[in-house]
Amino acid sequence: MSDLKNRTITIEKSFNAPLKTVWEAWTQSEHIVKWWAPPGMELQVIEHDFKVGGKWKYTMPMPDGSPFISEGIYKEIIEFEKIVTSADFRPMTENVELQVLFEADGNQTKFTFRVIHPTVDYCKQQEAMGIYNGWGSAFARLELLVNVSVDN
Amino acid sequence: MRRDVFQAIADPVRRDIIDLLSTEIHTINEVAEKFEISRPAVSKHIKILVECGLISINQKGRARYCQIEPKNLIPAFLWIEKFHKQWEDRIDAFENYLDHIQTKNDTNE
Repeated sequence: MSDLKNRTITIEKSFNAPLKTVWEAWTQSEHIVKWWAPPGMELQVIEHDFKVGGKWKYTMPMPDGSPFISEGIYKEIIEFEKIVTSADFRPMTENVELQVLFEADGNQTKFTFRVIHPTVDYCKQQEAMGIYNGWGSAFARLELLVNVSVDN
Repeated sequence: MRRDVFQAIADPVRRDIIDLLSTEIHTINEVAEKFEISRPAVSKHIKILVECGLISINQKGRARYCQIEPKNLIPAFLWIEKFHKQWEDRIDAFENYLDHIQTKNDTNE
């Protein structure tokens, strides 16, 4: 597990809102639909069973009409403190684990978010990175093309 | 079998072939000479890379040249960068939403 740190994305924040508000905004579906989807995209909550073993499933229609499905199963919930869930983002990446930690800090809330990639994904990522790094000039030429693809 | 960029880069020999071809066009013979594995084994990797769309082969006289198709590597690195950025954007959106509901609560009080 020595590679755990390398296959984990960590985002730490301090929110200017009390713990209860942050917790509710993160865990209640009527709030989730307001922030989960990227701008201009519509999120539909298909399932949201917020308990250990409960399933969540959201869908967003992609610009080409195909659905982008995010789903997972809650593995651990400690109220106002911690949420661990499995997550699949099809067709992009599967079988990641999301860990969300909350901690009251006066009227603010410390927030830690981790995405832990499975070993296989992590390897793919490292491989792609290795190729990317060795490819500076080729990719520099491609930058324009990439930007076009992203915008589309 | 799956034939995409991730399949292409899943094998260390194929990654080395991509690296080699990223700097220069080589004939299949030249590629095979750089590796200690057998020529048929190298040919097999080249075939997979062609099927994955990462290299193309051009015949000139008797020589067959391997050329990289960098465009088809894009999904591999877009995927990584987009995934990380997506979470950062999502959590920023969450923070903005918190600010929004906080302001609303303040107004109601």
